[in-house]
Amino acid sequence: MNPWLLGTIVLLAGGFPLSLWMASRGSPVDRMVGLELAGVVTTLSMLGFSQAVGQTSYLIVPLVAALLSFAGALVFTRLLAPRG
Amino acid sequence: MTTLAVALFAAGIAVVLVSGTAALRFRRVYDRLHFLTPGTTLGAPLIGLALGLENGWSLATALILFTCFLLVVTGAVMAAATGRVAAQREGLLARESPE
Repeated sequence: MNPWLLGTIVLLAGGFPLSLWMASRGSPVDRMVGLELAGVVTTLSMLGFSQAVGQTSYLIVPLVAALLSFAGALVFTRLLAPRG
Repeated sequence: MTTLAVALFAAGIAVVLVSGTAALRFRRVYDRLHFLTPGTTLGAPLIGLALGLENGWSLATALILFTCFLLVVTGAVMAAATGRVAAQREGLLARESPE
């Protein structure tokens, strides 16, 4: 096991339960914070995984994930905003 | 170079995990956003720098650095948008603000 794969596993095993915990408790806005953390952890994990397996073609996945998690978060902020 | 890259990678992972753990300890959404910000503004650049050092000057490095740049920029925007929605829901901010 190379250090990149080990780091990726540590990041995923440590960060994803944290974000799941935050995304499953509290108000909708509290949950959204957990969702944002999940997006960051997932994107960084995929960067590390691409390095671990030596496949640079996999790098398109974290790039798209970063963009889509941003767009998704903005949609959620729009939907969670109070309506007058 | 590999040792430095691995050290930077470990530091980036530590920043993300510590900021996530710190955010979990607080109940208010503003505190959580405050403690999550280092994960994107410091953790992501450290990890991108580590992978860039390991790969050298290449197209892969450019893609990695661009992805980390996106995380830095969008993380700040998402935190601001989330804080704004939380303030609107608590009545601290006008509903139509800043339109």
